[in-house]
Amino acid sequence: MSNLMPKSWNKETKPHLFCPGCGHAIVLKHLGNVIDELEIQKKTTFGIDIGCSLLAWNFFDIDTVQTHHGRTTPTMVGFKKVKPKRVVLAYSGDGGAYAIGLQSILHAAFRNEPVTVIVVNNENYAMTGGQMSPETIPGTITTTTPLGKPESFGPGLKGPELICGVANPKAFIARVSISNPVKMAAAFKKAIDNQMNNNSFSFVEVLSICPTNWKTDAKMSFERLKEMESYYPMQEFVVSQEKKEKND
Amino acid sequence: MTKILLAGEGGQGIQTIAKALANAAVEAGSECVYIPAFGVEQRGTPSVAFITVSDGEIRYPRFDVADYVVILQKRAIHAVVDYISPNTKVIFDSSTIAAKDLPKTAIKILGIPATKYAYEKFTPRAFNVLVLGKLTKVLEVSSDAAWKVIMKLLGKKFKTKEIEAKNYEAFEYGREVVLEQKEFTTPTFLPKIGKNVFRGHDKRAEIVPERCKGCGICVFKCPVAALKMGEELGVYATPIPEIDLEKCILCGNCRKFCPDGAINVDKE
Repeated sequence: MSNLMPKSWNKETKPHLFCPGCGHAIVLKHLGNVIDELEIQKKTTFGIDIGCSLLAWNFFDIDTVQTHHGRTTPTMVGFKKVKPKRVVLAYSGDGGAYAIGLQSILHAAFRNEPVTVIVVNNENYAMTGGQMSPETIPGTITTTTPLGKPESFGPGLKGPELICGVANPKAFIARVSISNPVKMAAAFKKAIDNQMNNNSFSFVEVLSICPTNWKTDAKMSFERLKEMESYYPMQEFVVSQEKKEKND
Repeated sequence: MTKILLAGEGGQGIQTIAKALANAAVEAGSECVYIPAFGVEQRGTPSVAFITVSDGEIRYPRFDVADYVVILQKRAIHAVVDYISPNTKVIFDSSTIAAKDLPKTAIKILGIPATKYAYEKFTPRAFNVLVLGKLTKVLEVSSDAAWKVIMKLLGKKFKTKEIEAKNYEAFEYGREVVLEQKEFTTPTFLPKIGKNVFRGHDKRAEIVPERCKGCGICVFKCPVAALKMGEELGVYATPIPEIDLEKCILCGNCRKFCPDGAINVDKE
C-alpha cells in the first residue's frame, strides 16, 4: 500500500493551490498524518484564516470553516462551545495570528478555551507579495522594507512567549520548525491531545519557509529558516505556577 | 487601434512580456496602454494583461473585444472568454492546450507550440521570450528595437552569456515561426499521467509527475544525493526528480519534506 499522502487529504484537489515548495503544505502533511493516527478525521473541524492559509480550504477531507481575517480562533471557540465533542483546529498565518488577530488568541489563551491554534510563521504577508509582518527579523529585506527592516520597527514579535504570559498552566504552548518534521508532528499530537483529554488551550507556532516571496531556492530557503530558528528559540513553553497565582 | 490580451498563469512571465511588448510599442513610436490584472501572487492563478496600441491618442483604454488574444495556459482560459469575438485572432500554446478547450466563440485560432519549441530547442524558460518574438512581429516592431527593450527589462535575469544567446535565438525563432493552421485535437506536451515507479535493490520508489511542482526540496534534503532533477516534466512544466535506488538508504526524508505528496520510497 502506497503512503504518498495522508488519508485525511482530499485526493481530488491535488495538486493543491500552494506554491512550489510552500511550507504550509509540509505543515498540513504532518497535521494530516497526526489526524490519521488519532483517527479523528470524522470529528474534526478545521478553521482557516485569510492569507495563504485560506488556500487550504479544500485541502482536507474534513469539515472546514473559512473565517474573517484574524478571527479564526474566536470562531472556533464559539464552535467548540456549541459542539464540545468536536476537535477544533484554528489554522492561520503569522499576519492573521499576531497582527490583526492577536487579541483574539490572547483572550482565548487567557480564558483557557479548549481549542488548538496552529500558526505558520513565514515572517511575511505572502499572499499579497511579501510585505513586512510583525515577525520579520530586523534587517530583513521585504517588499515594504527595501533597505532592510529598521530597528525602529521593533524586533520580531515572539508570539508563544507573549501568550505564555497570560495562559493557564494547563495550556500547551510550543514552537517548532518544519526543518524537523518528526518533532513538529509530535507537537501537533500533544496539542490535539491537550484539547481532547485535558480540555485546555494549546498553541503551536511553526517556523516555515516561503520560497516565492523570499526569492530563494530549496537550499537557500532552509538556510534562511536556520537563521529564523536561531532568532526564535524552539521549545515547549511552560506556564509557571507563580504566574497563575498572580493572575488569580 | 490594436487591442491585445495576454493570459496565462502567475509565474509564467505574462506581465514581463506584456511590459516588454508595451515598451517596445512605445519605442516604435506608438501610443500604448498596459493594464495588468492578477490576483494572489502565486503559481496557478490566472494572470491577465490588457494592452492597447494605437498610432493616435488613446483617450480611454476601454477594453470590450480584443483583436488578439494570447492564451498560454489552459487554467487561464476562463479569465478571457468575455473578450473573444468571432473576429478575434486567438493565439494559443498548442503544445499544452487542445483546440476543444478554447471557448466556442473563438473561430480564428492559431497555434504556436511554444513550450515544446522552448524545451526542445532552447532553455525551458525561454518560452515567453519566444511568444514575445511572435507578438512583436505581429505589431511590426523591428527586431533590434524589441531586443533592446528585452535586454533592458530582463538583462539582469540572463546570468550567463549562454542563456542570453539562447534567449536571443528563441526570440528570433519566435519572430520567424509560422503559426500552425492545424486541427490541434491533442496537446503534444502535457505532464505524464500516473506514477513513475522505480524498482531494484529490494527497494521501490514512486514519483507522481501530475502532483510534483519541481520545488527541489527532496533533492536538497536527500542525505546521500540519490535524487537529482531529471528530464521529465511535472504539473507546472518544471523538471521533476529521478531517483537512484542503488544509493537510496530508505531514510524517507523526501517523503517527510515533500509538500505535494508526490514521492515515496519503501522496501519492496
